[in-house]
Amino acid sequence: MTADLILFFGLAAVAIGAALGMLLSKNAVYSALFLILNFATVAVFFLLLGAPFIAMAQVAVYAGAIMVLFLFVIMLLGAEQLLTSHKSGWQRPIAILLTLVLLVESIYLIFGRGRLLSQVAPVASDYASPEAIGELLFSRYLLPFEVTSILLLVAMVGVIVLIKKPKANN
Amino acid sequence: MRFSALKRDERAGYEGHIVPASSLLEVAKALRDEDGFDLLSSVTAVDYLTDNEEEESFFEVVYHLYKSTGGGAEVLRVQVPRENPVVPSLVELYPGADFQEREAWDLMGIKFEGHPDLRRILMWEGFAGHPLRKDWKEVYFEEEAKPFGNRWPGGQVYRVEDQNPYGKNNQYPDGFDPESWVETEDPLLYENLEKAAREYTEDIDTEQVVVNLGPQHPSTHGVFRMAVRLDGETIVALKPVMGYLHRNHEKIGERNTYIMNMPFTDRLDYLASMSNNFGYALAVEKLMGDKVAPPERAEYLRVIMAELTRISNHLWAIGFLLNDLGAFFTPALYAIEERELILDIFEATAGSRMMCNYFRFGGVARDLPAGILPRMKDLVNERLPRKIDELDLYLSENELVRSRGEGVGIITPEDAIAFSATGPVLRASGVPYDIRRADPYSIYDRFKFDVAVRYHGDVYDRYMIRVDEMRQSLRILKQALKDLPEGEILTGHNPYQVRVPAGEAYGRVEGPKGELGYYIVSNGKPSPWRYHVRAPSFINLTILEKMCVGQKVADVVVNLGSIDIVLGEVDR
Amino acid sequence: MQIETALLIEWVVKSTILIFALLTGFAYTTFYERRLLALIQVRIGPNRTGPFGFLQPAADGLKLIFKEELIPANAYKFVFILAPILTVIPALIIMAVVPWGGAIELFGRQIALGLTDINVAILYLLSVASISVYGIVLAGWSSDNKYAMMGGLRSSAQMLSYELSLGLAFVVPILLAGSMSLNQIIEAQRGVWFIFYQPIAALVFYIAMLAEVNRAPFDMPEAEQELTAGYHTEYSGMKFSLFFMGEYMKMIAVSAIFATLFLGGYRGPFVDTYPLLGPLYLFLKVFLSLGLMIWIRATLPRLRYDRLMAFGWKILLPLSILNVFVTAVIIVVFGL
Repeated sequence: MTADLILFFGLAAVAIGAALGMLLSKNAVYSALFLILNFATVAVFFLLLGAPFIAMAQVAVYAGAIMVLFLFVIMLLGAEQLLTSHKSGWQRPIAILLTLVLLVESIYLIFGRGRLLSQVAPVASDYASPEAIGELLFSRYLLPFEVTSILLLVAMVGVIVLIKKPKANN
Repeated sequence: MRFSALKRDERAGYEGHIVPASSLLEVAKALRDEDGFDLLSSVTAVDYLTDNEEEESFFEVVYHLYKSTGGGAEVLRVQVPRENPVVPSLVELYPGADFQEREAWDLMGIKFEGHPDLRRILMWEGFAGHPLRKDWKEVYFEEEAKPFGNRWPGGQVYRVEDQNPYGKNNQYPDGFDPESWVETEDPLLYENLEKAAREYTEDIDTEQVVVNLGPQHPSTHGVFRMAVRLDGETIVALKPVMGYLHRNHEKIGERNTYIMNMPFTDRLDYLASMSNNFGYALAVEKLMGDKVAPPERAEYLRVIMAELTRISNHLWAIGFLLNDLGAFFTPALYAIEERELILDIFEATAGSRMMCNYFRFGGVARDLPAGILPRMKDLVNERLPRKIDELDLYLSENELVRSRGEGVGIITPEDAIAFSATGPVLRASGVPYDIRRADPYSIYDRFKFDVAVRYHGDVYDRYMIRVDEMRQSLRILKQALKDLPEGEILTGHNPYQVRVPAGEAYGRVEGPKGELGYYIVSNGKPSPWRYHVRAPSFINLTILEKMCVGQKVADVVVNLGSIDIVLGEVDR
Repeated sequence: MQIETALLIEWVVKSTILIFALLTGFAYTTFYERRLLALIQVRIGPNRTGPFGFLQPAADGLKLIFKEELIPANAYKFVFILAPILTVIPALIIMAVVPWGGAIELFGRQIALGLTDINVAILYLLSVASISVYGIVLAGWSSDNKYAMMGGLRSSAQMLSYELSLGLAFVVPILLAGSMSLNQIIEAQRGVWFIFYQPIAALVFYIAMLAEVNRAPFDMPEAEQELTAGYHTEYSGMKFSLFFMGEYMKMIAVSAIFATLFLGGYRGPFVDTYPLLGPLYLFLKVFLSLGLMIWIRATLPRLRYDRLMAFGWKILLPLSILNVFVTAVIIVVFGL
């Protein structure tokens, strides 16, 4: 148990550091790299929690596919450097305020209200196995699953429509 | 001629007409549209500088026009004063004049009015003067003509540098500092690139990048550079930059004696030295007249060597075109294996594999050594036909070769003629123009062969036409080897020095890469007064930009490979 | 406690063996490639260093170590150095889930030949494969070179296009074996190899994996004729050889995965009686698969970039979706 705890806190430090790095770095490519590191550590959390399927999906989908696309777009547009002159005076205080609210809320929920963490029931060994997830997706969550597919399809069609300029312009 | 402006050239040994600069465009347009002289073969300039008080010094720009249906030349000359020489540009009428006029501006300093992009082409920006002018003296100039004087008179050796009449003689243009100059800051080039890019309309607004393909690049076949503007992977504009290998072949040639230039021509297109020799020998023999008409056996040997050269060149071209397609050297090495056998024959006969130096005025240098003829017959009748069929079988129907080649880099027949493309590039566009048939030289009129022609004008057809041409060359070789007569190989003795009467001559052959022409002006001295090479690789590049715009980066490389250039000939 | 120590030693020893096997494999794959290419191209190839040229990889390695390391002035230095490392790591760890044989008795312990056997092995392969592109993309971006940049962009686009087909090709053996564990997939091929049940899936997998490891005719990111050397244009010395190492180790890894999924993995005659034959069979299958890759490189010209994308999206992807669909229907209908 202690080994797990050490691993957990170490990884947590890395995850928070990576998240901060993503927010604070001036270069968009570095931000993307920090985000990938963050995703990777989160994947290890899932492994620690005994959910290898979700861990692998996290790496393959988020760290693998989506972030490659992000990097691709950043590089293609040549938007590595943020414009330092672009400052919005009112965004920063509001952001800090909202963050504080979220932080207080989380602390209250975790430690204040009857220690939620200890009440989590231990999960079955096949809780997040590929079979279990597949079952759930195609039975209980079938509608959301299908709606998501349609949403993605709409997004795809939308992109194609946006890219194609009307012929009259040429 | 129906133009009052035209005047027949009355000088001894000259042909064609003298046109005043003011009516050049009008005459050229009429010649092109009414008389069918649609192929502008060569544009060059001659510096008639004279010390004689009574004669006038002037520049003469010489145009050789041909019909793409065949026949002899119409030679136009424009004479302009040496001070501020201006000639109207023919680029509007003949786009193929583009690079040649730039070359004349670069080397001779003749301004072509109306040329869209009149920049130096072979010399660099830090070069002062125009080197082919007769009053221009190079760095460490020694003497006007070779052979130079003895450097150790009386056993006393001296350093050349101490004896130069003009000293070091190193000059730069005004305001040019070679130390601080950066080559990438070539404002003229990039301005022109941008101008070309503006004409191209695009779908999405994305950032365009300028990429310099070359001069150090694996697939430019040497030190050749293409400045391209890219929209993603699509070519928006392309400008070729050349001259990195420029050694002023023509200036050196004008200092050499006639016979010294024979080995020097080997170095032009170093893959086809026999053809280079052939063209030069024809031009000088034209000047020297009938007394150097080659004997029968020599004529046959010349044709045999020229056709073997064509096969070896095309094997190389096909092999490396496939390499440009990304086939990792396998086709190239199989092609080179066959080329080696041809080079063996050259080595046995001429003594060298690539720098053959085989032709002489009035014949060839050496006879075939004993025992080589059966080997040649075996090669031509057995091995090469089989190997060419094999190449055809494995490459021509390959799915990837077809998909990369078909419809890529299309040249229409009209464009091909207008841009003065010659050789396989022209014939792949459906114009059956082959000098061996259109304007026969040597003994080509005796052989049965077809002019290979393909009709799509794309990369695939430029590949296929080379396969076809190799087969036709084999047909000629079979006939020539069968009929090869016994006898002399050289008219007269093999001289150290030839006497060439005053006059001019334009000798051209169908080289493997296209029309290879030599324009020679003699004033009766041991060295040519003007020695100009109409290099097919160089002039075929004129159309490169038009071929590539709108295509992908990968196609540029293939397009270049399908033109088949050798930088030794492009840059001269 | 005793057993845990033994287990730890077992893992360390197996990991070391695996890493050494991959490193030696990388070195001798380059040699294999050079000799086989030479054979195909009527040449001889390297035969001077050691007997039959067997020391050539060592000589190559020494040469690369002593090469000057150049970093372009305007490069993003940290990423520039990080990129080759990021290329090698996925190539090293991807083999962790591939079994090399059955179990053997050693020191009174039952030892499985293979590093680990997890029930989501296929997902592990997919996720490691998907992060392996970062090295190339970042190398291209950080070099401050337009060729490298284009190489990086090409590789990310290519990877996204081919990963889908690769994933769908993975699905077929999963369906046939009913498990995501590679050991069980191999067990399921006890009778007939999956390549005979599913030639289309095997073909799609092989094509997609060529694209995944940037081998000819899909070597767009480093297309020599167009992009000089693509993403590693600016790299020299050991950093360059790390890219090389990554590429060749990935070749070995994907060949091993291909063998596992479609050629019965380590299975072969008498392997149940003599479990040590397992690694040998796997080696033979990998050797043949590598030979096929080299043969393809020696024979085929490169596809053009846009055609490659069109091929991936318009032919390969629909084909693999259809294949998965048909397989699933057959399995359900016939209740296999």
